[in-house]
Amino acid sequence: MKQKEKEMRILMLGLDNAGKTTVLKKFNGEDIDTISPTLGFNIKTLEHLSYKLNIWDVGGQKSLRSYWRNYFESTDGLIWVVDSADRMRLQDCKQELDALLLEERLAGATLLVFANKQDLPGALTAEEIKNALELSNIKTHHWLILDCSAVSGENLLQGMDWLIDDIASRIFTMD
Amino acid sequence: MEVDDREENLAVSRSNSADSRFDMVIGAIEDIVMDEEFQVLQNSFLEKYFHEFDDSEENRFIYTDIHTEYVNLVEKYLNNRLLEKIPQFSLPEFMNQMINRKNELDGEIFELLLTFSDFLTFKEMILDYKAEKEGRTVDLSCGFTVTPLGTRDKKEIK
Repeated sequence: MKQKEKEMRILMLGLDNAGKTTVLKKFNGEDIDTISPTLGFNIKTLEHLSYKLNIWDVGGQKSLRSYWRNYFESTDGLIWVVDSADRMRLQDCKQELDALLLEERLAGATLLVFANKQDLPGALTAEEIKNALELSNIKTHHWLILDCSAVSGENLLQGMDWLIDDIASRIFTMD
Repeated sequence: MEVDDREENLAVSRSNSADSRFDMVIGAIEDIVMDEEFQVLQNSFLEKYFHEFDDSEENRFIYTDIHTEYVNLVEKYLNNRLLEKIPQFSLPEFMNQMINRKNELDGEIFELLLTFSDFLTFKEMILDYKAEKEGRTVDLSCGFTVTPLGTRDKKEIK
């Protein structure tokens, strides 16, 4: 008998212009030249490391953030994407992330923070983003922050592999 | 009545035959889905909302509201009808078994059940319906919503 497919649901959030859709498309091997601001949400279903990943990418504009909660249910992993060159909005970025980490329906989710746009001059490092977001204070979730560039693809795979490993070790240990 | 008989038999032999229980549930689902009441319910839902959907990659937030309404209406209806036939039936539990037996199953029933839990399958169903409607009504080109005079069986749930 065929084994049940192991599925994971991954939710990708972050401020507008952080690069969420670009991360998603680049990871999925798609063209990233014509991406426009997301006003709704995108879903990709892809196979990786013998898991079936359902990745949800929801628009990040301020007026859209109240919709995020409609996508929390059953989330195994949260990817928080940061525009590392957008120093002006780091405080806003921290507040939104802090609010998410208090959400009961995300309580069991592993957190991966992508310090994106490392290809831009003036981008803060992952270490600097980590400090600005005070990630070290997070005790409620497994978390990791990684430098990345969605445009070049740098570190996307490494981040995703860590996320999947962490989720798998939490929810599929019975097998 | 016939179904009730089968149900009694099953109650006796349930513990030694997961297979026959599975087959019985599938049979019950097929009966409900082929029933006109279910088809009217599902078709009127599709008719109400298909024009909201576009075949574009990005989804609008309203799709999620529509999906939730669909689950509350159609899945609930199916679940309630199944409960009448099979006491203590649990659709989520059954869905798990179903995924394991995907290959033994009639594709249409499997697809239908997936529309409840899988948003993309739901979206595909609506877009298929929309394509069918637009193909059929292309000559009329006269308005926003076109209601067919007769009830034609939908391909998906025949």
